[in-house]
Amino acid sequence: MKRKRDRLEVIYDILKIIRHYNNSIKPTPLLRYSNLSSQSFSEYLSELLEKGFIKEIIDEKGRKFFTLTDKGFEYLEKYKLIIGFIDEFEL
Amino acid sequence: MPPFHIIDPTRLAVELAYTLIVVFLCFTIYYKTREIFDLTKHKGIKYFRMTFLFFGLAYISRFIFFLFLLMVITLDVFYMRHIFGIFPLVFIGYFSTIGILSLTYSILWKKLHINHTFSKHIFLIFNIIAVLISGIAFFSRSPFILILAQVLLLIFTSIIIACYILSNWRKTPRLYMLYILFFLFWIVNLFVLGPRRFLSFEIQIVFQIISIAVIGIIYYKVAKWT
Repeated sequence: MKRKRDRLEVIYDILKIIRHYNNSIKPTPLLRYSNLSSQSFSEYLSELLEKGFIKEIIDEKGRKFFTLTDKGFEYLEKYKLIIGFIDEFEL
Repeated sequence: MPPFHIIDPTRLAVELAYTLIVVFLCFTIYYKTREIFDLTKHKGIKYFRMTFLFFGLAYISRFIFFLFLLMVITLDVFYMRHIFGIFPLVFIGYFSTIGILSLTYSILWKKLHINHTFSKHIFLIFNIIAVLISGIAFFSRSPFILILAQVLLLIFTSIIIACYILSNWRKTPRLYMLYILFFLFWIVNLFVLGPRRFLSFEIQIVFQIISIAVIGIIYYKVAKWT
C-alpha cells in the first residue's frame, strides 16, 4: 500500500511538476499529475500562491498558467535539507 | 555550613563565559533554522526554534540574577534582592518553562493528534503554565521553589517523551537522551542561583563543560542541515 504523502512532500511534488514542464503549466494538467483530489489541490494551490512559491500568469489569449517564483525554486533546492533536518530531530 | 557566595573574579568570568557560549549557541540555532521555517512553516520546526530562543533568554536572565546575587551579598543590601532580584527570577521561570514545553511539543505534536482549533491555542496554554511557574517564583521569592516547579515539569515532560519513545522503538533514543541531558543541566544550573553553594566550583565547571558539549552537539546537528 502506498503511504500517504505529508504536506511538505505534496508541496515538493507540485513544485517539481511545474519545474518539469518548463516552469509553466496549466491548472488541469497540474491537478492530474499532482495526484490529489480537486479540493486538496485547490487548498494546496491557494497555500502556494499565498506563500509566494508560485504565481499565476494569464497569457494574451486569457489562458492561465502557473510558474515558480524564486522562493519556489529555493524550496525545491532546500527540500532534501528540510527533510533531513526534520528527520534528524524527529519533528 | 556551605560557604556563601562572594565576588570572585574567576567565578564571575567562568559564569560570563559560560553564559556567552550557551546564549550564542542557542541564538545561532534559532537564527540558522529561520530559513527552513520560513519556507515550510512547519509546526515542529517552529517549536524547536522557540525552545532555543527561550532558553537563550532564560540563560541571560539566569546570569542577571547571578549578578544581583553577587552584588547583594557583596554590598550587604539584602532588600535589593527582594526588589530587583525577583524580576530575573520571574523571567527565568517564564522563559525556561516555555522552552521545556516547546521542545516537548516539537517532538510530540504529530503523535498527539490535537485538533486544529486546540493546536492554535497551544502557545497560549504554554504561556499560562509559564506564568503560573513565574508566579510561584515571584510570590515565593525563592530560587528553590522555582527549581522544584521546574523539576516537576521536567519529570512530567520526560515521562511523556519516554512513553512516545517506548511506543516507537524504530526511532533512536539518542536524541531523547540529548534533550533530557539538556533539561537536566538546566536544572543543575539553577542550583547556582541559591544563596549557598550545593556544588563545588570545580564540579560546577565540569557540569558546565558537559552542558556546553550537549548544546554543541545539538548545534552541530542543526548546522549539518542548515
